Amino acid sequence: MKNKIGVYICHCGSNISDYVDVKKLNEITAKIEGVNIAKDTMFACADSTQKEIIDDIKSNELDSIVIASCSPKLHLETFRNVAIRAGLNPYNYVQVNIREQCSWAHSDDKKGATLKALQLVKAGIERVKRSQALEPIEISSRNVVLIVGAGVAGMRSAIELADMGTEVYLIEREYFVGGRTSQWNTLFTTDETGEQVIKRLYKKVISYKSITLFTGAEIVSKSGGIGKFDIKLKIKPRHIKPNCELDWKKFDKAVSVCPIEVEDEFNFGLTKRKAIFMNYKSEFPQIPAIDTENCNRCGECVKICPEIDLDQKDEILNIKVGAILLTTGADPYEPKKDEYGYKTLDNVITLQQLKRLIELNDDKNLSYKGKKIKDVAFIYCVGSRQEEGGNTYCSRYCCTSAIHSAILLKNKYRDIRNYHINRGIRTYGKQELLYKESSENGDIYLQFFEDKIPTVEKSKNGATIKVIDILTTNREIELEADLVVLVTGMVPRKDNTIAGILKVPIGRDKFFNEIHPKLRPVETVIDAVYIAGACQAPRTIRESIDSALSATAKANSLISKGKIDLEPTLAQIDTSTCEWCGKCVDVCPYSAIKKVEKEGKQIAEIIESNCKGCGMCMPVCPSNSIQLIGYTDTEIESMIEALIS
Amino acid sequence: MAENTNNNEYDVLVIGGGIAGEEAALNLANQNFKVILVEKDLSLGGKMIHLSKVFPTLDCAACITTPKVSETARHPNIHIFTYSEIENIEKKSEREFNATLIEKPTYVEDNCTGCQLCEEKCPVIVKDQYQWDLVGRKAIYIPFSIANPRIAAIDIDNCILCGACEKVCPADCIDFTQIEKKSQIKVKAVIIATGYNLFDAKIIKRYNVGTVKNVITSMQMERQLVPTRPFNNVLRPSDGKMPDNIAYVLCVGSRDETVGNPICSQVCCMYSTKQAQLIMGALPMADVTIYYINIRAFGKGFCEFYQQAKGMGVEFVKGKVARIEQGEDENVILRYEDIIKGTVQEAEHDLVVLSVGILPNTDYTGFFKNGGVEQDKFNYVKQTDELLSPALTSINGVFAAGTSTGPMDIPDTILSAGAASSETASYLRKAK
Amino acid sequence: MESPKILVFSTEKISDPAIDLTGLLKKYYPSTVYTIAIPCSSAVKPKWIMHAFEKGFAGVFIAADGTDCPFSEKCTENTGNIVSHTHEFMKEKGIDPARLKMAAICSVCTDPFVKHMKSFLKFLTENKEQKN
Repeated sequence: MKNKIGVYICHCGSNISDYVDVKKLNEITAKIEGVNIAKDTMFACADSTQKEIIDDIKSNELDSIVIASCSPKLHLETFRNVAIRAGLNPYNYVQVNIREQCSWAHSDDKKGATLKALQLVKAGIERVKRSQALEPIEISSRNVVLIVGAGVAGMRSAIELADMGTEVYLIEREYFVGGRTSQWNTLFTTDETGEQVIKRLYKKVISYKSITLFTGAEIVSKSGGIGKFDIKLKIKPRHIKPNCELDWKKFDKAVSVCPIEVEDEFNFGLTKRKAIFMNYKSEFPQIPAIDTENCNRCGECVKICPEIDLDQKDEILNIKVGAILLTTGADPYEPKKDEYGYKTLDNVITLQQLKRLIELNDDKNLSYKGKKIKDVAFIYCVGSRQEEGGNTYCSRYCCTSAIHSAILLKNKYRDIRNYHINRGIRTYGKQELLYKESSENGDIYLQFFEDKIPTVEKSKNGATIKVIDILTTNREIELEADLVVLVTGMVPRKDNTIAGILKVPIGRDKFFNEIHPKLRPVETVIDAVYIAGACQAPRTIRESIDSALSATAKANSLISKGKIDLEPTLAQIDTSTCEWCGKCVDVCPYSAIKKVEKEGKQIAEIIESNCKGCGMCMPVCPSNSIQLIGYTDTEIESMIEALIS
Repeated sequence: MAENTNNNEYDVLVIGGGIAGEEAALNLANQNFKVILVEKDLSLGGKMIHLSKVFPTLDCAACITTPKVSETARHPNIHIFTYSEIENIEKKSEREFNATLIEKPTYVEDNCTGCQLCEEKCPVIVKDQYQWDLVGRKAIYIPFSIANPRIAAIDIDNCILCGACEKVCPADCIDFTQIEKKSQIKVKAVIIATGYNLFDAKIIKRYNVGTVKNVITSMQMERQLVPTRPFNNVLRPSDGKMPDNIAYVLCVGSRDETVGNPICSQVCCMYSTKQAQLIMGALPMADVTIYYINIRAFGKGFCEFYQQAKGMGVEFVKGKVARIEQGEDENVILRYEDIIKGTVQEAEHDLVVLSVGILPNTDYTGFFKNGGVEQDKFNYVKQTDELLSPALTSINGVFAAGTSTGPMDIPDTILSAGAASSETASYLRKAK
Repeated sequence: MESPKILVFSTEKISDPAIDLTGLLKKYYPSTVYTIAIPCSSAVKPKWIMHAFEKGFAGVFIAADGTDCPFSEKCTENTGNIVSHTHEFMKEKGIDPARLKMAAICSVCTDPFVKHMKSFLKFLTENKEQKN
């Protein structure tokens, strides 16, 4: 047992010391058996304190250290590194959480917080007394990344990883790449359209040998972990023979004879499409697809186009990768029926539908459902900034996107008048210029508060909107609009089965959650599973790309070295007491235990490279022959005793 | 800190040791590239290291920056020059840049232990720029308590050369003979992470900054809220009274054509909301009113944070402040247009905080010899492929990170720095 | 009167982050709640729980991974088995099985955690009074 322990108690500025009597804590700690040095410090994580700890370890030949500060999730690694630099085994360091689980959780009870902190520190000291010096386990890793979702973020990451020398599997659930961006027309800050941006990315993606792209592909299952994931993919058939030269005239004819008509999701239901389709002519890959769900196998198209093969089946493919990057994007919010007249009034559409409408409409005038549009009313924050229980978050991009669309309308069509019924315009940063431009165009801005939301009712010529406008001293304003555009925000993807398969944590707003927005913004609690783009939070294209490129840097530096150091927290079998029963094998999720014969006796043995240190095997062992390193009986039980003392 | 490499050659020159420069440098160093990091100030950490807590998680800023700072400082692949500047950079060809580095004299050798005995003896007291002039410091001083490197420097403009520090220094590291050192370095790529400047509120004449008492800037308030704060409490400057009726004026120097900055600074709404929450914690009896045009709570968790502030009782008044004048008892009178009431109102507060905006730091424009990096119309570094390669600039091999390209909050800055490091790594690998 | 002590077994990747977040958001719960974080809630040994009761803890709460468990889909089932086994041991020793509770606490379940702690403490306090 260790008997030259250094204990450091952090004030964390005042985060801890405002509620926990650190000085008193320090006095008592200094007297605990085995403690050689006890100090309190303003910031344990500051460089100067780190240096001081190292000096203490060296000059006093400390055999272990305990730091009582914030959650180990923030600084366990920081302080393990301090130990390493002082020549101490990092596993002879224990971090005690007296901030998140003490001073902050009990700011209402200073006395209780101080008492609890003392007991937590005592438990930490007992634990470190019994800790074992360990060496990390080195595993090999594959320099291959699976990117899920071939929208802007996914394709951009694929290119960057390939440039850095990493092999990429890029999979897309749809038949075509491009995600949401392919649905948008001219994009803000550049004059490029969504189509052009996607074309630029796609051309680059296919120019790399080290990127393998699958469309119509989804993850079915995952096994393994960091450095060595085994992934099973399901690839939907496209029903077009591979490597055929497609005759576009025949394709057009095949489309015309297809008897199936379904709602066109690409145009958000504004149009219909056939079971054989492409969303737009220059779409990538430049091969049409027949969607299996809707095709009735009538065979009319095959008669025209022999390249079509209706017998193609789902393909299952097993791939091996070292890390996974999720760039699965987001959905637009779908308003409830009759929310501001949605789906009950003829001339109420969403912002996304408006964007497709502008794209599809080449006339000098804009019309919708046969009616010429002059007055357009945008209602903001539909599906965002809702009350508790709904989507409380701001969707970030929609103010800019709506204003940008309003400017497009003005520029493309004559006689358009825009009304913006908003809850405070959030055109942050340089996007402010759009707001200015739209105001200079003569667009009218009316603002409401959340407790008095506008109403939309049917009128003779379109819709009547009533709004209590705070910009004109709360006057109720009534206006007529030919088209009502609901500025709908972003929501997480409807189908999020992938989160379940990969066990990616979901945040309170239901988007994928990062470990920490500032320290580890693209990592998840699942090792080597990264997130980027709009699957993490609503974002603009540029912001999505920034996060995608950040994720590539992190993924590449993790897996490109060929080996990764892992935590040596493994299960250990006591061979003297093990009476092979097999219960541990049944419960182990990683097939990390096998039966072996040693000295004429059948016993269990841990396969170290498979063991993830979950400890599930321990409680089922009838002879208590399994210990988890770092969580042994003596460690846990001595902690329990210290906590109750 | 890394050993000096041969002939002053490095893979990447990162200019700026704030959070963006550190993140980019660390990413590259972890991919085994040799990095030289040049910081013009005495310490790493940029603006962030001086903040109190950061929105929307309310983590203390020091807890997030200092580990990054020390990781940067001790990374074997990163060589740091603080209190140093880049005089010029010349691009010879792809992956070949020559730069001139200037190390400014601090008159203190690197073996300083930070014991601060010199500070005690120094007879000269001047305003402490790291506390935004709220308190004083000596002519020889450790920049601030969590500075890295934590060594003293002499402010030679104010030093009276009395030699008191030299006599008391136990490490014998005061050296008045130091002079500016120039050296040539060769690098293969450059990252501009020079950050931003804060708007100088004195420019707005109708706010009478400097003549009306008890009007401070948001950075001065930030310093009063940090754990290492100068007064250990929130006090108003004129008489040291604990304020109980504090006002925030938003959009000072942002969204304002008259001062030449029409864009939104992206962070002021949130940092003011954060400070308001912290003030409520420090001074539970105080009223806090925020005068705003639009509240821009757009990021992950921001809107909830804004609602939380409202729930705590922070008053949000939609109104543009037209004038700031002195009232009785050293209080401050705000004249503002109350947009909801539609009238011009007057309000009295005992402390007014100006939420100053972000302006570009245009230092980078002077770096390049033959043709500089192109600027956008607001003098930020122009992003030449903003949508798909946000870190690219008009010069191949020169990348931009963080607020050098525009206003940005900390999470976005870190992502932008990550992107810059990725692009740089790919650019460097293309040579191989 | 001193309030009863509760030992919480949390999990490093799921429920312990939730308990951290509870503190971060200043959602208060009694300071006599102590947490030991382990990798997975299916790793709690009945032996440890019994040790806690023996040494004087009034209640033990397993903040389980539930369906969020990064290790196994069977985690809820496995943790449930541990609880029912331990209940047997508790009955043998004459300890009220209600003093051991388990509930799934997801990584952002701050409100449920506080609610569980408050109601468990209330139960333990009342239970203690009855006995006295």
